[in-house]
Amino acid sequence: MVRSPGPGAALRVAVPKGALYDDSVAALARAGIDAAALREPGRSLVVRCGDVEFVIAKPTDVPIYVAYGAVDAAIAGRDVLEEAGLEVVELVDLGFGACRFVVAEPVGALRSAEEMYRHLGQIRVATKYPRITERHFAERGLQVEIIKLAGNIEIAPLIGIADWIVDITATGTTLRENDLRVVEEVMESTARFVANPASLATKTARITEMAERLAAATRGEKGA
Amino acid sequence: MRPATPRGFRDVLLDEAAEREDIVRSLIRVFDAWGYAPVETPVVETYETIAAAGTHGGEAEPFRLLDADGELLALRPDMTLPIARVAATRLADEPGPVRVRYVAPVFREHASFRGQARQFTQVGVELVGASGPAADAEIVAVAAEALRAAGLQTFTIAMGSVEVLGELVAAAKMPERWQTAVLRAAHVRNLPEVQRLAQEPGVPESVSCALMTVLRTRGGAEAIDACRTALSECGRPRALDALRETFGILEDLGYAREVVVDFATVRAFGYYTGIVMQMYAPGLGLPVGGGGRYDRLLAAFDRPAPAAGFAIGLERLAIALAEAGGTPRPRRLDALVGGTDPAGCFRAAAELRAAGWRARLACGLTGLDLVREAERAKAFEAIEEAGGVLYRLDRAGGRADRILSSAPPPGSGEREGQP
Repeated sequence: MVRSPGPGAALRVAVPKGALYDDSVAALARAGIDAAALREPGRSLVVRCGDVEFVIAKPTDVPIYVAYGAVDAAIAGRDVLEEAGLEVVELVDLGFGACRFVVAEPVGALRSAEEMYRHLGQIRVATKYPRITERHFAERGLQVEIIKLAGNIEIAPLIGIADWIVDITATGTTLRENDLRVVEEVMESTARFVANPASLATKTARITEMAERLAAATRGEKGA
Repeated sequence: MRPATPRGFRDVLLDEAAEREDIVRSLIRVFDAWGYAPVETPVVETYETIAAAGTHGGEAEPFRLLDADGELLALRPDMTLPIARVAATRLADEPGPVRVRYVAPVFREHASFRGQARQFTQVGVELVGASGPAADAEIVAVAAEALRAAGLQTFTIAMGSVEVLGELVAAAKMPERWQTAVLRAAHVRNLPEVQRLAQEPGVPESVSCALMTVLRTRGGAEAIDACRTALSECGRPRALDALRETFGILEDLGYAREVVVDFATVRAFGYYTGIVMQMYAPGLGLPVGGGGRYDRLLAAFDRPAPAAGFAIGLERLAIALAEAGGTPRPRRLDALVGGTDPAGCFRAAAELRAAGWRARLACGLTGLDLVREAERAKAFEAIEEAGGVLYRLDRAGGRADRILSSAPPPGSGEREGQP
């Protein structure tokens, strides 16, 4: 269940496929970490570059791989880390992949959700991120019914399954295209370099070096 | 119906159970040699006792029960709380430090979808009524010796102190909301968030630098010294003296290779006040065990006393040993004793046992049947009793030779508990 590569073995690092993939590969390259094979991985999901073994993973699985020690370190979005709520060490804010978590509602809603709340005592919220959503509304003291959907959250209010949605947005385009407007901010997210606590204690030098190189490259990028 | 165990509970059987017994035996031998005495406490505590430690955090909710009187009870989530209760009550008048050890199943509630175990076994010690570097070093040294005795060749004990972060946060003289936010971010090990908070307006530059230095530093004596420099600049030059001394003792004892100072070491339970430690083994992404100092816990039971201890997770240690090829091989059966006369079988087996054999009865079985059964049971010998005489059977079931019941057991050459 929790087997991790031994101390002599290659450092295993997970890289999320999807939206963060290209930026992750670029960040590794900027940090001077050999990740050339990640540019054209073909169909393989485990790619070895020098003494680092990269695992290409579904973004939401990355925190799980790290927490169980299947990989020593990884690049993961703050959003999926928060949603997973697992024990991992966040070492570096990599700066890229910036997006915001927002609560949104249809622009043309006849009655605002807040007003319905006064009458019905509950708001239905559709999201892919039930934990983040639950925590946000618990902090606000608002009672909501959370409906977990697998995708296309933006259409939920249009088809009447929910009053509000909680979703990520980078530019707001998708929201505008679906006639949704932001009700409030939930949190901001960027990509992070994270490590398994046991790996950090037993392979300290290698993980710390990788973290420092990534941090330096991120600072360089910001300065440019 | 086909009966099943409740979610998160499982049976431990035969080979696994025997291996676990062996692991426990080698751990206990170490604790015992250090003078720790065994204690047993009820599996169930009042919820009030369990709640006395404060909030546990979502990951380790206690398993709650209601009894027939409507009293809220909890299954113990660890042994530290029950032992603190015992130390504050029945053992309160014992003079001098109390050293106790335990092997105990503990229980945690988890949300159903995680599929995690809700019962596991902890093997550990508590040292109540002693504080200071010698007591702290004793706890770490016992842990290291126990892991080694269990057969773990390589392991790392990450040692930190919750005081350091507390002092630093206090030195910033910032509003309480900021202090809580920093401690919470450090607790979930979100360094970018700590960094962001450290750069908020109003935070003294020295504190902001020291926060990042302390949370990023890992290593030996030089790591402590680097942090001490950073802390001096915040007007807290003595904050690390005790830890430095503890580490010095462990270094002197030759534990410098195993013990790593890491101030970002955190424990899920919120009651720690001084050193905290986590034990890691190669091949295991989760800690094998952990512990630390909890000087304020007994005060919650109106008997303030310093205390420290650790627990090793038996299930995790078993995985770590399997990964390292160090699973103990429990001693095999020496013989299966068969024959047509049950009383004769009983007598023959009893004689063999008196000579140190592990002998299992197989009354009624003779010849080839007895040999086959012995093979199935992985016994060294199949022994047939007839008219008070003990015959060793050959593989075909024939009587190979007579053996004296005073003969040494064939399995005695295997060293018990060693791989």
